[in-house]
Amino acid sequence: MKNKINIYLIEYAINAILRQRFKSFFIVTVFTLLTFLLTSVFFITNSLRYELETTVDALPQIIVQKIKAGRHYDIDTAVVDDILGISGVNDAVARVWGYYYFENAGVNFSVVGIDRYEKQYKNSFTKLVENFDFDDINGTSTMLIGSGVKRTMQSSYYKEYFNFIKPDGSLKKVQIAGIFDAETELESNDMIIISKDLFREIFDIQESKATDIVVKVANPQEIATVVSKIKLLFPDTRIITNQDLKVSYQNIFDYKSGIFLALFVVALFTFFIIIYDKSSGLTSEEKREIGILKALGWTVDDVLKEKFYEAFLLSFFSYSFGIGLALAYVYIFGAPLLRNIFVGYSQLKTSFELPFVFDFQTLFLVFFLSVPIYIAATLIPSWKVATLEADEVIR
Amino acid sequence: MIKLKNITKIYEVSKNDKITALHNINLTVQEGELIVLKGASGSGKSTILSLIAALSKPTSGEVIVDDKQISKLPDNFASRYRRDNIGFIFQKYNLLPTLSVRDNILLPLVPLNPHAKEVEEKIQRVMKRFQIEHKENVIVRNLSGGEQQRVAIARANVNNPKIIIADEPTANLDENLSHHFIEIVKELRALGKTIIIATHDPLFFGFADREIEIHKGKIVL
Repeated sequence: MKNKINIYLIEYAINAILRQRFKSFFIVTVFTLLTFLLTSVFFITNSLRYELETTVDALPQIIVQKIKAGRHYDIDTAVVDDILGISGVNDAVARVWGYYYFENAGVNFSVVGIDRYEKQYKNSFTKLVENFDFDDINGTSTMLIGSGVKRTMQSSYYKEYFNFIKPDGSLKKVQIAGIFDAETELESNDMIIISKDLFREIFDIQESKATDIVVKVANPQEIATVVSKIKLLFPDTRIITNQDLKVSYQNIFDYKSGIFLALFVVALFTFFIIIYDKSSGLTSEEKREIGILKALGWTVDDVLKEKFYEAFLLSFFSYSFGIGLALAYVYIFGAPLLRNIFVGYSQLKTSFELPFVFDFQTLFLVFFLSVPIYIAATLIPSWKVATLEADEVIR
Repeated sequence: MIKLKNITKIYEVSKNDKITALHNINLTVQEGELIVLKGASGSGKSTILSLIAALSKPTSGEVIVDDKQISKLPDNFASRYRRDNIGFIFQKYNLLPTLSVRDNILLPLVPLNPHAKEVEEKIQRVMKRFQIEHKENVIVRNLSGGEQQRVAIARANVNNPKIIIADEPTANLDENLSHHFIEIVKELRALGKTIIIATHDPLFFGFADREIEIHKGKIVL
């Protein structure tokens, strides 16, 4: 009884790959590199897009900032009461937060002041307030830090406490009370949470002032109306909606994606040059081999099947290897070099890990852009030769 | 039985350059017959072999093997005809130099996808018969000319074809090896195979059933 899969053809194909080891090695190297590059870019953009979307979704609906001559200044906390009086406004909270530059590591921390007795403007803060005893924190100058901040501080030997330098030049020693993981890596990466009182002390902000005010509107459809009412009441403010921030983040992201689009085009262009070179003809040795096989009784189908196995094994191996390398590069090693192009402000941010986002569409896209094209480029010239008279090819 | 009826073969080198290799050839070869086609280089001997093996098609005329017209077979059927009926020993052997002896002999069996046991039996049988079994795993390019020819003969016989075709089989051999090849041909003849040899080597003259001289694409005798 005949076996359905012709194992001898597969053996011959493997043998053919090994016989042309230098050529095969070159093709595998180029193919793997291209797959690796494209897939790495897709993995990085997918991870960052996920981070971006999660971050933007967690943003307040409206942020009100005090502006003097176009610059951001601290806002009076009394403004909160006036905003709460606007119909449609559900809640308004004065926030204190700011960037603290840690010179040793050359990075900025995002420091946020919270008060456990206030209603928190973020769900994640409510959970933190429930899980940590903020009385103790307030009493002994303690703080909660994101896991990324912990790494940065530890690398500068701050394992149990951290010394903040206040505006008057004196030091403020703050104990690390706990580590938290926020909803997104980007957020937890550089965030420090302290009490509002401690924040005011470190950043020298008066009791009656806040960094900005976040406003919650019951009906998202009314955001624009509420914004215009706030603007009317306080013409010296800048009002930012979450939609504005989304557009702004997206623009930065799209700009960086554009850089990669250019890289992507270059990679594809290189791939198609190889494909063009391959499809434009076979070497005289390759032609002669097909002629001999036909003279020995191989049909055109047999020749094409063997060439298919050869091309499939080579391209699928390279594809899989490239994907494996990209997974390791992006999710184990954190995509050194490539990530810095996307996270352009990384010099001022603590390092963070890209969240694992596995997207089958990406894998299919890279597969269809590479493997079938390579197989076609192998089969077409082989078919051209295999359909000639065997005598003509051998001669 | 093989019949060539009114065969003309013209090779088109370019639009204005055509070479007529065979002029209205008529030839009949009986089953089990040993035929030697002799003549100078370029006389058309190899073209006749190529047409009988369905490696090329005549410009006009018919090639009939066992009452089947093989000159008009579609390409895939021509391949199957070769696989089932023809064992071709080429002048330069046409082995794949980077494959082992075993893998070269295996080539005609590959499209048949036989069981491993059957493959092993067939390969061992021909390697023994043509005394090449001790070189089974040696890469062909590392063999001597005589050994390469034995591999080519083993490969041509692995499917046990009815018709053996040899194109200038002793052109690259010394006298000893040529005599050895003649012994092999005698063995194949004893097995009842139809054998057609194109050669201008006088060693073959005298023991064939018929000698046919080809001159400028025409049968002389």
